[in-house]
Amino acid sequence: MDTSTAKAKIFDSIRQSLRASEPFDVVHAEHHTQEDFGAIKPFIFENKVQTFCENLTAIGANCKIFSNLKHARNEVENLIVEKSAKTIAISDSDSVTRIASTINADFIQKASAEELFDCEIGITSAQFGVAETGTLVIESDKEFNRLTSLIPPVHICILEASKLRNNLGEVLAELSKNLSKSVTFITGQSRTSDIELTLALGVHGPKELFVFIVENE
Amino acid sequence: MNHVTAETFDQNAKAALQDSQLKGALNNLTNTFGERRKIAIQSVNNWEGLREKASKIKAETLKNLDKYLEKFTENAEKAGAKIHWAIDGKEANEIILGLIKERNAKNVVKSKSMVSEETHLNAALEKAGIFPVETDLGEWIIQLAEETPSHIVVPAIHKTKKQIADLFVEKVGILPTDDVDKLTQTARNFLREKFQTSEVGISGVNFGIAETGTILILENEGNIRLTTGLPKTHIALMGIEKLLPQLSDLDIFLKLLPRSGTGQRLTTYQSLITGTKRDSEAEGPEELHIVLLDNGRSKMLSHPVTRQSLACIRCGACLNSCPVYQQIGGHAYGSVYPGPIGAVITPQLNGIEKNKQLPFASSLCGACREVCPVKIDIPELLLHLRAKVAEEKPKFLESFAFKLYSKAWAGNKSYELGTKTARFMQKLVAKGEKIGKQTSLMGKLAPPLGNWTEFRDAPTIAEKSFRDIWKEKKVKSKG
Repeated sequence: MDTSTAKAKIFDSIRQSLRASEPFDVVHAEHHTQEDFGAIKPFIFENKVQTFCENLTAIGANCKIFSNLKHARNEVENLIVEKSAKTIAISDSDSVTRIASTINADFIQKASAEELFDCEIGITSAQFGVAETGTLVIESDKEFNRLTSLIPPVHICILEASKLRNNLGEVLAELSKNLSKSVTFITGQSRTSDIELTLALGVHGPKELFVFIVENE
Repeated sequence: MNHVTAETFDQNAKAALQDSQLKGALNNLTNTFGERRKIAIQSVNNWEGLREKASKIKAETLKNLDKYLEKFTENAEKAGAKIHWAIDGKEANEIILGLIKERNAKNVVKSKSMVSEETHLNAALEKAGIFPVETDLGEWIIQLAEETPSHIVVPAIHKTKKQIADLFVEKVGILPTDDVDKLTQTARNFLREKFQTSEVGISGVNFGIAETGTILILENEGNIRLTTGLPKTHIALMGIEKLLPQLSDLDIFLKLLPRSGTGQRLTTYQSLITGTKRDSEAEGPEELHIVLLDNGRSKMLSHPVTRQSLACIRCGACLNSCPVYQQIGGHAYGSVYPGPIGAVITPQLNGIEKNKQLPFASSLCGACREVCPVKIDIPELLLHLRAKVAEEKPKFLESFAFKLYSKAWAGNKSYELGTKTARFMQKLVAKGEKIGKQTSLMGKLAPPLGNWTEFRDAPTIAEKSFRDIWKEKKVKSKG
């Protein structure tokens, strides 16, 4: 297919249509006044950690706050025992590597897609957290976390409190400076209500999400 | 309900009204989503301000669509994506089939995409021996049942849990169950195998960002992340109207879309994909192909009223709020896009002559306009399209009758003769002071005459006209 001709034809058609519209645009604008609803104030929170936790818990995920990495590490170990997980996929972030190095379990760092399908838990960090919605933001150029956060049925995320932002607007502004090939926003665990609008969790992604916020790194 | 066409909208609607199961499902859907939306819009500052801003951004983007398309494709290519252009659905399907064949791919997974429904991509691929597997739960159910979606957000809303369970027993071989969790896990297990073996993943696109060449896709299930993250080749099919100027615009649109669609503050996942990976060690596909589809969209730019149609972000709020959709569901529209937005988009995409009934499938109550997150004036569009239908050449008999009518009414003599004749003739069809279906012979008359009183009675012409009475009085007073 000669896609360059298609491109030229589409651009011709667009420009022709926009020109044809000009006289109508004037009349239309006269009959449609625009209303002014004032400024859209972004949400700013006094305690981002608390707000993040509340919003994430409200949609059925788990969120716990720890004063340091060691306490978070203990909770990770408890979860591994509780889930009797045999194989655990981990990302290459600093905090995750440090936690894994002190726990005796079968970890695979930077697991391949094939390996990930056999892992019971995936552990990653996140590049940002959004307090307003309880959202994790992961960037593929910063951490090997794209599929580790998705394929295993349990996802544990170690989130440093300093990564928390008030709202998505703040995150988008920071992201646009150097955009990763893949950026994913994660709010809660995989869900569907495609059957009679009944909520079911873990349809394709994790059924359980644990976010451990570490206040002092 | 599968092979309906818009020409049979009246019959489809009547059939849907008789379907009590469908009625229950639609009630549940429209009430639930309507209520959730109402609650969700309370969780932002200045909802109306957001709608106004979104509407302005879209209007500006569409008015400069050529410039933004150039910018978007330039930046996407810079990031490593390959851009393809398709004038119509057939071309888009050929491009995608070509890409699959070049890669010798046998297995293809697909995530929910309304635009691929518009081009009938699956049918085109199947003809060539490629059987793409739908991975969104609702779409997978529809694919197994060999049906079409009835809602743009929840495609299988017309099916009951029992019907879905029976379908899985028959097609996937599970044991009978009425547990939604078990049915969901069936999909997970079956589709995981497909994800692992597929060489190509096909997705739609919710937004394209001109400033960065990014495509953004929203979802709740995670199948889009798998479709766009696992196979070596990712093909994204998008309409040329999907653009937003800059990344920061997402702040507004990501507040509006989930709240309007499912009543969520944010859907579970948003994937922002910018080109391809630069390092072979990294995760994700090696290739990204973006197929940009026109298929009649550029023509909609030619008038400010029709141009609005291209601002649609496919949230489905107008379907949920529409008293017509609430009664008849999506299939009755006989088109890929149902509900109020479908009634305005379909005639523009597929030709108004083939979809004359759709602009009339509305009571013009304006509920759709109230909920639309980008402030599309759907009633204005419906009226615009109704005018287009009316501009078409009228039927011979009708136009002959109206010519006769205008001639007769133009002269004094002929007017009087006309009313006298009518006064005499109406005795044949009237009962009391009404001419109507229930009351007389009129109902038994064949169309087109019978059509005039099919739904309402016409009053009879008075025994004596005002002019006659005036004349009589004058004569009397003189005498």
